[in-house]
Amino acid sequence: MCPVDSTTELAGITLRNPILTCSGTYGFGEEYTAYCPLEALGGITLKGITPLPRLGNPVPRLAETPAGLLNAVGLENPGLEEFLSSYLPKVRKLPTAVIANISGFSLEDYTQMARALRRDSGLAALEVNISCPNVKHGGMHFGTDPQSAEDVIAAVKAETDLPIIAKLSPNVTDIVEMARAVQRGGADAVSLINTLLGMSIDLDRQRPVLANTFGGLSGPAIRPVAVRMVWQVYQAIDLPIIGMGGITTWQDAVEFLLAGATAVSVGTGNFVNPQAPLEILKGIQGYCEKHGIASVRELVGLAHKS
Amino acid sequence: MLTEGLVVVHERLGEEAQRLMKLVLKGPIAKTAQAGQFVAVRVQDPTLASYDPLLRRPISLAEISPESDEITLLYRVVGKGTEILARARCGDRLSIMGPLGRGFSLPEDGELWLIAGGIGIFPLYPLAQRALAKGLSVRLFWGGDNQTFLESAGLSEWQALGIPIHLSTMDGSLGQKGLVTVQVLGLLWEFNGKVENSGQTMDGKLYVATCGPHKMMQAVTELCMNSGVPVEVSLEERMGCAVGACLGCVCTLKDEAGTLIHKKVCQDGPVFRGEEVVWDVSC
Ligand SMILES: Cc1cc2nc3c(=O)[nH]c(=O)nc-3n(C[C@H](O)[C@H](O)[C@H](O)COP(=O)(O)OP(=O)(O)OC[C@H]3O[C@@H](n4cnc5c(N)ncnc54)[C@H](O)[C@@H]3O)c2cc1C
Ligand SMILES: Cc1cc2nc3c(=O)[nH]c(=O)nc-3n(C[C@H](O)[C@H](O)[C@H](O)COP(=O)(O)O)c2cc1C
Ligand code: FES
Repeated sequence: MCPVDSTTELAGITLRNPILTCSGTYGFGEEYTAYCPLEALGGITLKGITPLPRLGNPVPRLAETPAGLLNAVGLENPGLEEFLSSYLPKVRKLPTAVIANISGFSLEDYTQMARALRRDSGLAALEVNISCPNVKHGGMHFGTDPQSAEDVIAAVKAETDLPIIAKLSPNVTDIVEMARAVQRGGADAVSLINTLLGMSIDLDRQRPVLANTFGGLSGPAIRPVAVRMVWQVYQAIDLPIIGMGGITTWQDAVEFLLAGATAVSVGTGNFVNPQAPLEILKGIQGYCEKHGIASVRELVGLAHKS
Repeated sequence: MLTEGLVVVHERLGEEAQRLMKLVLKGPIAKTAQAGQFVAVRVQDPTLASYDPLLRRPISLAEISPESDEITLLYRVVGKGTEILARARCGDRLSIMGPLGRGFSLPEDGELWLIAGGIGIFPLYPLAQRALAKGLSVRLFWGGDNQTFLESAGLSEWQALGIPIHLSTMDGSLGQKGLVTVQVLGLLWEFNGKVENSGQTMDGKLYVATCGPHKMMQAVTELCMNSGVPVEVSLEERMGCAVGACLGCVCTLKDEAGTLIHKKVCQDGPVFRGEEVVWDVSC
């Protein structure tokens, strides 16, 4: 039998394979190279950046929960200028597709970054994290209001020629409505899901564990929510989906592909097993062989077919 | 490096109520490890694969034996993760990442004082061994709750090194009663006085490495800074990735210009120069 074809296409980018890594869990690409060669990955997503540098939240920023992790890093990042001068020259040379991730607290924040990050930057795509409060509009989250989400994606799209991936927040009543909104805004793909808002309380101190009180839940605990959302969005819109949320093993990844994800992204799973992406790729290939499937692309959305 | 460490020794350390464990793992890590570095151990019941607990546990290298390819971890059972770890048996293999982080630096010559609070003693032992092997004079100050703790946590191994040891206990059951910093202050004055009387400066004469509770390391740093003695501290913070990728474990430092910056305890530390650490942070 011929080897399984692992290549895939997403928003006009050809990926070596459908395994990516999640923003905020993989630094700026070099932290994990001793564990997982970047050549083996379909691509990586960089830590979210904002126009100005941010120190982020006080510690503790992390709290472990059953099969999950709460984080309140608070978007600590070097800022756009430092990213362009110190990080971009290095990341553009990495031997894999590199996706930048941008976050903002106003429409102008997003457009400013989009203007600076175009195809000639060497990046493969721009992931737009809309799970942030819009401080100019009473803190209403871009990611929970369909009109704001559409507007921010349209504004970013107008400023850059890079493919746009809209990263959706699961903290909404109707994920489908949000997915339709970003499709209208001109997104080329969607990433689902970002973290679920949660908290945890220290019984000894009788205080919240996180200095920030609330944090975003990630890890295996959120996987069923993520799979459900990928399933729903796959049925509702035409854009390719990058599935994420708790992927740690190849079985998890196959579940997302079957639900309709074109690619999968590993986040918290790297912390548990820094070689998870490699094992996942091997596992998916093995699964395809076993089921007589010639290309991983054939797995996408297979669970929807009657 | 991600490796499978073979458990060759796993036993209770000292008195049962201290809940201390000694774990010796065979694997290639010892060849490259420095004193003050740590490993991130996956804690999982081998018979019951599960994602609870999810994260690896950071544990310092308490002994590094490159000749036998062994590392020793000494740890206290404090919660779910360490309880599960304590169940690992000889012959089991544990997934470990490491050696991680930046360890203690070894001075070229002069005297090295080690100042430990509680189980903060553990990462200082390989530092003492390496300093002695290099011909430095080493002195230990160690404070703990009581005699039983100090004896359980390895006092006899330290005594076997043949170095001067100053003990303090909170209940006075061994050594001086009270905080370890009181003894440090006394000897530091004496040391300072001798150097000054001989018309010399403190430059290159004395170095301090400390590990223990936050407040203790802060006090030690202040004492050292007042006497112009370089001090290295080993910080602790909750970790996600343990390799510098998630920014979960930051500490606040002051850079040369006095600006507050964040560094990653897992990658830039856990050992930092005491004078750059901002101890009372609100950012
Ligand atoms: C660099 C470093 C070196 C360490 N070396 C040692 C050592 O040599 N011996 C030893 O006994 N302990 C050491 N610790 C502390 C050890 O990591 C914790 O005791 C352990 O993680 C507790 O896990 P648990 O599940 O039993 O406790 P729980 O309280 O149930 O843990 C809950 C969560 O909090 C984290 N956590 C709890 N306490 C700490 C802590 N003090 N520091 C960091 N994270 C914590 C855990 O990793 C886990 O994610 C070290 C910590 C760091 C950061
Ligand atoms: C420590 C940490 C930091 C994160 N930072 C970002 C970020 O900067 N931007 C972003 O869009 N998502 C961020 N995320 C969310 C992840 O990219 C991902 O969507 C989420 O964790 C779910 O995947 P997982 O369960 O595999 O981790 C972060 C997650 C974690 C755990
Ligand atoms: S634990 Fe992730 S950066 Fe230190």
